[in-house]
Amino acid sequence: MIGEIARNFVINFICPFLGTVAFSVLFNVPKRFYVSCGFVGAMGWVTYCLVSARSSAAVASFAGSLVVVLLSRILTVKMKCPITIFMISGIFPLVPGAGVYYTAYYLVTNQLGEAAQRGLGALKVAFAIVLGIVFIVSIPREFFQPRYWKKRWFMRRNAKGA
Amino acid sequence: MKIYQITEHKRYYLELLLEADPQEDMIERYLDAGDMFALYDDEDEAQAVCVVVRSGDGRCELKNLAVREESRGKGYGSRLLKYVCEKYSYRCRTMYVGTGNVPGTVGFYERCGFVHSHIAAGFFTENYREPLYDGGVRLTDMVYLKKDLTKATDPKRAADLALEAGRILLRNGGEIFRVEETICHICRRFHVENVDTFTLSHGIIISVKLPDGDTYTRVKHIPLSSSHLEVVDAVNTLSREISAGKVGVDEAFERLEEIEKIPPKKWYLQVLAAGMGSGCFGFLLQAGVLESVMAFVIGCILYLWVLLAKRHRMSKILVNIAGGAFITAQALLIQRLFPMPLKLDGMIIGAIMPLVPGMAFTNAIRDIADSDFLSGTVRMIDALLVFVYIAIGVGFTLGVYSNTMGGISL
Repeated sequence: MIGEIARNFVINFICPFLGTVAFSVLFNVPKRFYVSCGFVGAMGWVTYCLVSARSSAAVASFAGSLVVVLLSRILTVKMKCPITIFMISGIFPLVPGAGVYYTAYYLVTNQLGEAAQRGLGALKVAFAIVLGIVFIVSIPREFFQPRYWKKRWFMRRNAKGA
Repeated sequence: MKIYQITEHKRYYLELLLEADPQEDMIERYLDAGDMFALYDDEDEAQAVCVVVRSGDGRCELKNLAVREESRGKGYGSRLLKYVCEKYSYRCRTMYVGTGNVPGTVGFYERCGFVHSHIAAGFFTENYREPLYDGGVRLTDMVYLKKDLTKATDPKRAADLALEAGRILLRNGGEIFRVEETICHICRRFHVENVDTFTLSHGIIISVKLPDGDTYTRVKHIPLSSSHLEVVDAVNTLSREISAGKVGVDEAFERLEEIEKIPPKKWYLQVLAAGMGSGCFGFLLQAGVLESVMAFVIGCILYLWVLLAKRHRMSKILVNIAGGAFITAQALLIQRLFPMPLKLDGMIIGAIMPLVPGMAFTNAIRDIADSDFLSGTVRMIDALLVFVYIAIGVGFTLGVYSNTMGGISL
């Protein structure tokens, strides 16, 4: 049981973590962001796994990209750096690389029905990621700044007091 | 030549300050409240100093500007004055300076863009115990000159700086809105009000309306190229510092030049990273341990090819089709030669990952989310085509293999 959990942890957390860090090296991300990049990628993948157990790959990718972009935006405000740094490498575990392969494979082996299914599946996942990113990116910037919430909180308290 | 702000041991420069203002207690009046700047020459000697005092409501006054006697006429004074004007243009709108009514000094300030403001009658006779002489004339009234600091920076130069920062951002993988925001921030900091920019996925147009009615426009073509997020981060930090008034135009240009020289990671690190990415993602997508190790090896070799192609500026089509073919060929070879049975898909899927255009894809989505459909579509097509190229490469190799091997099941 414990062995199983540990194994799952290594597969579903350490692996995407290392993979994401590897890609952040390829994108020349500064060293100090490696750990946060890996964390963002790993959390995205964990979400993907949890959701995909109960739902389709597209929905799971949507949920995963929501988490990735949300975490990226929070970290961006916290570490004062461009959001691209976390987002680009964090989104990688969700990218439908397998879909591309299977589409090509079935096309070549003349299983056109399968190919169309895989290709459309990959496209669906890509669209799910797009939606996930657009959703979070469209949230106004103030919502991620602690200052904004502090101000709101004070205003509400003052309104109550008066 | 370097200019520093002096915050401690201001009295150390007293000797120099006395050259411009011969009475020590007059200097003491503003020395602690004012900001002091010193210009050092290449031999690391202080050649000029000045003190500026800020007085609310957007004004500041240059209280003292002294240049070492033997090095006058070398432009140190005007350099320092220009620096200070630019520095204070962040918080202040007008800079005043009071001086004796001597043609030489007044002329110097007029050349630096100051105009006549008002006169404090009898200032020198009231405040100084000893009569002051400058150029053989006894000083009595103080002439005040002023300068509009919102025009301290040449708008053309500010626009050039903004364009340069934008160019570096776009070249290294910044989003369109980040480029435009940076350009606007930099222009606003230097009081360039009428700016319009139009940024595309591979070009920037910036147009500034100058105070004299002319328009200054520049177009910069920026070819799509590799991603270097460290540079994006550095330019972003610099832009923050410029907006906060900490960095002037000249310094910003120097910093940008340095930023552009930040090298990419060492090639072997990139190769290892590509391998590790391949192995990890292969393992994630249900490949076994052995297949993942093979994906690591294939990923490393693949990236050697990518780096080689980058150095020779091969087209994306070639890099990706050949890359896909290369991966598949290696996977097939390993599958045939390796004594144990290996699954083909695990190795190939893992090794494809370093080719996946994550950057173009994510940036395209960002641009579309910002309603910048033009750049978004261009980048999206760029990303989708790369996917197609990879699929072509993989598919082609698989097809050739299955045909030549007489329909061996893959």
